[in-house]
Amino acid sequence: MHTSFLNKFIVYAIIIAGALLFVFPFIYMILTTFFLGTNTLPKPDQVFSVKVNFANYVTVWNKNNFVGYFMNSVVVTSVAMVGSLFLGALTAYGFARFTFPGKELVFRIFLLTMFIPGVINIIPQFVIIKDMGLVNTFSGLWLVYIAGGVIGNVFFLRGFFESIPKELEESVLIDGGGNWRIFWNIYLPQSLPALGTLAIFIFQGTWEEYFLALTIIKSEAMRTLPIAILMFNDKYSTNYGQVFAASMIALLPVILLYVTFQKKFVQSGFNEGGVKG
Amino acid sequence: MSASLLTPETKQAPMKSKSKFKLGLRQWMAVLPYVAIGFIGIAVFVIYPMIRNIMISFQDYSIMPNAANPWVGFDNYTKVFQDPNDRFLIALRNTFLNVAATVPVNWFLAIFFAVLINAKFVKFKIAFRTIYYLPIVTSWIIIALLFKYLFADGDGGFINYILHAKLGILSEPIAWRSNYWSAMIMIWLFHIWKTVGWGVVIYLAALQGVPKDLYEAADIDGANANQKFWRITIPLLKPITLFVVINLINGAFGFFPQVYFITQGGPMNQTHVIPSLIYIEAFQNLKFGPASAMGVMMGLLVFVMTYTQMKKIGRQKMF
Amino acid sequence: MNKMRKAALTVMALAMVFVMAACAGGNGGNSANGGNAGNGGASNGGGDSAPKVTIEYWHTYSDAEEVVLTEKIKPAFEDAHPNIELKLTRMPYEGLKQQVIAGVAGDAAPDLMRMDIVWVPEFAAQNALMDVSKLEGFDELKASVFEAPMATNFYNGGYYGVPVNTNTKVAIYNKATLEEAGLTEAPKTMDELVAAAKTLKGKGKYGIGVSGIHAWGLGPWFWSLGGSITNEDYTKVDGYLNSEASVKALQTIVDWNNEGLVLPVMLGGEPGTWDGIVSGDYLMSDDGPWFYSTKIAEQEATGFNPLEQTVRAIMPAGDGGSRSVIGGENLVMFANSKHPEEAWTFAKWMLTEEPQKIMAETGLIPTNTTAADAMTTMDIPFVDTYVEQLKTALPRTPIPQWGEVEAIFNLAFEKAIRGEQEPKAALEEAVKQIEAILK
Repeated sequence: MHTSFLNKFIVYAIIIAGALLFVFPFIYMILTTFFLGTNTLPKPDQVFSVKVNFANYVTVWNKNNFVGYFMNSVVVTSVAMVGSLFLGALTAYGFARFTFPGKELVFRIFLLTMFIPGVINIIPQFVIIKDMGLVNTFSGLWLVYIAGGVIGNVFFLRGFFESIPKELEESVLIDGGGNWRIFWNIYLPQSLPALGTLAIFIFQGTWEEYFLALTIIKSEAMRTLPIAILMFNDKYSTNYGQVFAASMIALLPVILLYVTFQKKFVQSGFNEGGVKG
Repeated sequence: MSASLLTPETKQAPMKSKSKFKLGLRQWMAVLPYVAIGFIGIAVFVIYPMIRNIMISFQDYSIMPNAANPWVGFDNYTKVFQDPNDRFLIALRNTFLNVAATVPVNWFLAIFFAVLINAKFVKFKIAFRTIYYLPIVTSWIIIALLFKYLFADGDGGFINYILHAKLGILSEPIAWRSNYWSAMIMIWLFHIWKTVGWGVVIYLAALQGVPKDLYEAADIDGANANQKFWRITIPLLKPITLFVVINLINGAFGFFPQVYFITQGGPMNQTHVIPSLIYIEAFQNLKFGPASAMGVMMGLLVFVMTYTQMKKIGRQKMF
Repeated sequence: MNKMRKAALTVMALAMVFVMAACAGGNGGNSANGGNAGNGGASNGGGDSAPKVTIEYWHTYSDAEEVVLTEKIKPAFEDAHPNIELKLTRMPYEGLKQQVIAGVAGDAAPDLMRMDIVWVPEFAAQNALMDVSKLEGFDELKASVFEAPMATNFYNGGYYGVPVNTNTKVAIYNKATLEEAGLTEAPKTMDELVAAAKTLKGKGKYGIGVSGIHAWGLGPWFWSLGGSITNEDYTKVDGYLNSEASVKALQTIVDWNNEGLVLPVMLGGEPGTWDGIVSGDYLMSDDGPWFYSTKIAEQEATGFNPLEQTVRAIMPAGDGGSRSVIGGENLVMFANSKHPEEAWTFAKWMLTEEPQKIMAETGLIPTNTTAADAMTTMDIPFVDTYVEQLKTALPRTPIPQWGEVEAIFNLAFEKAIRGEQEPKAALEEAVKQIEAILK
């Protein structure tokens, strides 16, 4: 029995409409970046008849030390991502493969912290960083990003790790390898889809992080991209053309990363564990 | 997840009649190399700030580094409830409204789109998935600016332009952020638009694991698409649905950028949620005591509500 | 096999990121060292034996203002004081107060900051700022600046900052729309403005330019209509905010809004005030000198000539006269500044005539009286009206609790304007809440 043409048509119509719904705001945003002097917002009919030009992109790229901030963000985000992935995986491995007294209690306390709004944690966190002498260093930022993200990442990875079949470990054990080798040679490669997914989450979360970066980094030369973007949000008015142009530039690396990683995204891992669990 | 899978050490060190304590200690020593760094990080940057929070909620807290910060008992808690404008209670109500309004829609759209994209004949599946996921990878601040622009008042805002000037569905343009319900709807649409892609991706992954033969059997029985969806797909995806819904609820509880960047709690403090209220109270009004008290109460509330589910959440697999 | 390859690839990718980070980390280190080397070099070059001190100055100057600050102010100051280096840090506006709080709480605040005048009493009450009134040279400085902006630094018997620039809002009219309303010049009184707004209403345009429901937006209107918030020394609200004159002033605004004369932007609608004035949909609004500096800067891109296409005047007078609200920034020193002496040197210098005149080029109105006088001879086309309006402009209540008080004030006005409460009841309730806070 084959799906009728009409049904196919309806299904396509719905998912294409959905896709348009998700893409359209971005298109509108891109069109707005072609306007100059956008402290006054363009009207919809103007938006659709705008001539393509990249003046705002050029302005933004050359202003507020944008390139420098972009590179800072690349450094901050890549290290935070790799560090978070590694530490998250390591800790999740501890939870997934070992039994130790109080394991579930510790885990629940960790989960509980995820429910308490952390908006004012920034002050004690900053004081700690300051006491460590790490104000105005990327290391300070990395510490908070990596340590602050461990719980979420462990939560994400633990179930996945637990679904890795034990038989796979035997080859390592036969070779005389220990727990480290099992972690490194079995768990990490086996969970690449999950790690890839997590990598994108972490990258994106760090890439857009604003308040903490602004608090810990004091010197202008070391600021990150979101700060540069909000610098276009002037005290007196917002130049939307420039803010959106800056945002588009900031968005590109995330999309690139996502498109690259997403082929491995999720699916393979799911087959092995998910539905059964 | 059977227990036998979790105990490799028992193989290495068969249980003898040693005291439980010694065994526990050895187990901790075995796991410590893997979790020590993580635990220290969590203790310093997550648990300690949280304890500070709880302490501050019982103090008359000053931002100065060496201030006395006298203990005031439950003063901050009573202050929260003595607010003549009931901002905390309004925020609490909004939090529940947000859950009620966004979770079902978000869940349904996620599974609906995922099932359609997963249909056998649909080509460019990955392209669709990428597009649906785009909003997720974009920054909250940027999307908030964009939404404020799209939902601008008058016919200058795109939404009003379409609904009023072009289609005539609205008799006059809506001032979205100026009225309680329209502002709430805008916040919800913002949230749903931004996050529905996550559910779609999770369900798409989950659907790979649904055996095809079940559908073929249903085809032979002459079931239509609707029946297949409700009788096969939904029941089979139940475990993943639990995971998705719990995460959606958690997300809806944690509204902050949705409110802070869109309405700042306005009009008349009516759209606040607890995190945005905490932020305003602490960083605008310098009232750290009451702000922390709100945080503690919110944490307790969520904890009590989810306590019974904790085991499931903890054990739930992501994929 | 495939899995192995993927794993290898991933490991390589990770390794690359590490290498990149290492390189970049190196760069970061270098640039930091470079900065230090630069300092050393400069002080050697100066041939000065005194160790060079760096003071940090946080500010939120706009693009155009920042250029003047870095290219003119910084060199001029460092020439005059070769042993001090001025480190300028421009802060974004989003989350600024949080940054100040974190800086203070973490003992990492800068030495100086250019801070919005309404924040000063609030941070002074937290002991975060230094009382400058006992420092050497304060009395002379105080004598050289305008009184009203200076008063915004007063708290609990001391002065916790010095006014670095002041501003206010004046009425800005779209010239074409003004003519459409049958006028050749800006209305002098509220009655004239209301008449013009009624004429324009038939044409789908708005005439009364209240820009928002907050003290900054409402102040000029509420005060011009005869309303008041507190007594003269800011200690009592009862009998002022709920006085008959205040109720009447609020009632007038409510009535205007019900008649559809007030800009939709007051209640958060669109177009924004600038959009509306530029397009001519709004007859007028009140705004600061930055309207002109920004619009002149982007004149080429937008084709809108603010000097030709708008008319400015002081606020139309009502029962309370022509009133506007004082804005501006104060220069404050943080209590945990590591170099208070040098910071104070800079603060004093910044308020002298020359730097004040330099910053005035951008449209910032000097607080130094000599510099302000000199401004009339400088060729700054729009500043005259602002200076005139400043003579009758009023400050927002300079008390530490102002943040909370304003929230209550805003809420009461919003409730009345939206018709949820009678003006009298709304103001009575606000007075009760504010009195509770002031106690």
